[in-house]
Amino acid sequence: MVLYGYLPAILEGLVLTLQVSALSLAIACVFGLIGASAKLSASRAARWSAEVYTTVIRGMPELVLMLLIFYGGQIGINMLAESQGWPYIDVPPFAAGVLTIGFIFGAYLTETFRGAILAVPKGQAEAGLAFAMSRTTVMRRIVLPQMVRHAIPGFANNWLIMIKASALVSIIGLDDMVHRAGLAAATTRAPFTFYMAVAMIYLTLTSVSIFLLSRLEARYSLGVKRVDF
Amino acid sequence: MIRRLTLASMLIASFALPSAVLAQAPGWAKIRVGVEANYPPFSQMGTDGKFSGFDIDIANAICAEIKAECTLVSQEWDGMMPALNAKKFDMIVASMSITPERKKSADFSDSYYDIPSAWIGKTGSLKEVNATTLKGKKIIVTRNTPRAKFVQEHFKDSEVLLVAKEAEVTMELAAGRGDIGFGSSLAATAAFLKSPEGKGYSKLGAPITLGGAKDGGGVGIAMRKGEDSLLAKVNAALKTITANGVYKTINDKYFDVNIRGE
Repeated sequence: MVLYGYLPAILEGLVLTLQVSALSLAIACVFGLIGASAKLSASRAARWSAEVYTTVIRGMPELVLMLLIFYGGQIGINMLAESQGWPYIDVPPFAAGVLTIGFIFGAYLTETFRGAILAVPKGQAEAGLAFAMSRTTVMRRIVLPQMVRHAIPGFANNWLIMIKASALVSIIGLDDMVHRAGLAAATTRAPFTFYMAVAMIYLTLTSVSIFLLSRLEARYSLGVKRVDF
Repeated sequence: MIRRLTLASMLIASFALPSAVLAQAPGWAKIRVGVEANYPPFSQMGTDGKFSGFDIDIANAICAEIKAECTLVSQEWDGMMPALNAKKFDMIVASMSITPERKKSADFSDSYYDIPSAWIGKTGSLKEVNATTLKGKKIIVTRNTPRAKFVQEHFKDSEVLLVAKEAEVTMELAAGRGDIGFGSSLAATAAFLKSPEGKGYSKLGAPITLGGAKDGGGVGIAMRKGEDSLLAKVNAALKTITANGVYKTINDKYFDVNIRGE
């Protein structure tokens, strides 16, 4: 029996891990792009709110934030619901987990994207404006495609960390791969077997990611000469 | 485009808000039960990912008795009380001992089982177990439990290694990170001593009863404070399943002794 027969259960957990990671990444990208635009915007209010966001979120442990949002948020909602006479509203752990991880990694991606946007020569955007493109068009057609190349290394780092951080959702009752492995280890008393298997699965996931992202980087670096020192 | 739409609708669906659960009618037709799976044979996870064990069977028997539709909610031990009070579920059936501290944050049913705690270590390593023989030794015990409190209060000259789950007491012991484990006499022996890793280990000293059922201790079902109608139903159901033999059937499925402890 592979893994004492627990392989299917662990793989089910893997599906959840992948769902959480992928959705969190999508949300993190949205927060990251908004944050980066805010940091580079002319409005002082926008710059300040983005600064507060990245400083506070990057400065707090993911675990603490997750517990605060899941339990604290639930208690807050319960109080609100009771005072308004609404029925009990459940904060689903999946949404809470994905939103929290997306919100946290959005702060890191804000910095990644901000750096990447700044790395695109200013003349490019100026040329676009000179052709009477609107600011959004310049952003969409000139700046974003060119910033991808600069963003990929930092983005890859964040993605790798995020896949692994998704294991945090097990503390809020989500049945991800690490949680499943922990329970199987407790039941069979074979922790080494299960944690080793999980480590190998994570390593496979990250290796595949690294390969794909390097291909993507090569694609976006077309027309750029590689310099050897 | 279609793919983009599907992704978007997936995103929306997953957040489309907190499914509003109907206000709990006083009838308790639907109950959510907090359980865990780190305490074989009381609770464990099967190869299909489903939970089973003594606690799970008791929870289902009670739900059947009070004719409630129960949903089992998986929760790690450390978050049990916060989740109960955040209304993530309505009762905890997870081998939780009734203690004065816990009674401050939750109400408890009558005890549904009561077994003594036991010391476990290398066979013959200690003749007697007391504060003197354990001086300077490292004791392994699960945190947030009456056992941990007992050890910390009565074995001040010993080192204490606190672990997160009951199953880790014997894991740590087998890994050599402590000299003696203090755990449930049934869970510790049943699972560990019969296994290959348990070879060379045995129970040491006499079993210890911490605040038994007669003194208002034992293991109970926790509910939020003030849910008196649920508490009454659960206590009545416990009495019924004990009287009609359902309890005995579950008991005998897992243990060769009666653990009801009345």
